[in-house]
Amino acid sequence: MTGQEPPKNPHGDDGQQPPDTGMGMTAVSYLIAGMLVWGGIGWLVDHWVGTRGIFAGIGAVVGMAGGVYLIVRRLGA
Amino acid sequence: MTGQSIVLAADIPFPPSVEDFYLPSILPWGAHDNYWFTKLTALVWLTTALIIIFFLVSYRKPQLVPTKKQWLAESVYGFVRNNIAVEMIGPAGVRFAPYLTTLFTFILLNNFWGIVPLVQISPNSHIAFPAFLAIISYLMFIIVGIRHHGVVKYFKTALIPPAPWFILPLLIPIEFFSNFLVRPFSLAVRLFANMFAGHMLLLVFTLGGFAMLNANAWFLPFSLLSWVLTIALTFLEFLVICLQAYVFTVLTASYVQGALADEH
Repeated sequence: MTGQEPPKNPHGDDGQQPPDTGMGMTAVSYLIAGMLVWGGIGWLVDHWVGTRGIFAGIGAVVGMAGGVYLIVRRLGA
Repeated sequence: MTGQSIVLAADIPFPPSVEDFYLPSILPWGAHDNYWFTKLTALVWLTTALIIIFFLVSYRKPQLVPTKKQWLAESVYGFVRNNIAVEMIGPAGVRFAPYLTTLFTFILLNNFWGIVPLVQISPNSHIAFPAFLAIISYLMFIIVGIRHHGVVKYFKTALIPPAPWFILPLLIPIEFFSNFLVRPFSLAVRLFANMFAGHMLLLVFTLGGFAMLNANAWFLPFSLLSWVLTIALTFLEFLVICLQAYVFTVLTASYVQGALADEH
């Protein structure tokens, strides 16, 4: 198989398109990352302000929205 | 209760615990709480030696019509080069094929010790080994990206998504977290957890058989069933072993592809 030439044009176009294999992982990691980052920041704000979790909740929702937006922009195009 | 089952089961610790992953020291022999050279260390060295020797021997005098060994070595390399490197990264991926092949064979063989009879533990069931492999992949895709784009442009592409400016403060922390913190962590944990759970599963079913016999000799049929299941699970483990080696390599290639990709 080494003697065989590697496929020159595996995707039938300019060969720069990322294949689908990594995309599922990327999407999941964006969703989780969004929730954790902004949820965590909200949790810190909660501690600082003295509220009991309202900012963590808001942060998680906002982060999730950001994650969805990122998936659309990065993977949907 | 028959005498033999008591003898067999007397010192069977059940249920198995994390302690079972810390094997006795080899050098110095039998020392307590000394983990510098254990069975795992020996297995990693053996794996490395086997891979080096196999590829050297099978490719020392390459024939036009390959021998069996040469054919196997070329198939492994060809598989990783064509189906992982070039498939994921594109034509530029041929450069990374040697590293990806090394990574693939190293993980595959290290995992495989988990189901070799009488060895039956994989070095990758300790997080140190997957963690270090993940660190190498992590550094590699960052360095590759920096060399391809330059420092500023690489981090700009990696961190700043195509979005209006007012939404960027929301997105950049997510990008940073997901690209530079989650990736190495998930690579390491995925491989480690799969090997750890596999070993634990086999331990539970093997030792469980003895534990049941120990409790009541009439449980013999259940013990036998448990041991039969151990064998079946070993085949399942074989699937997991190959899959995890493949997934680790594919994800590494995918990260390299992301580092080399131009802006959308």
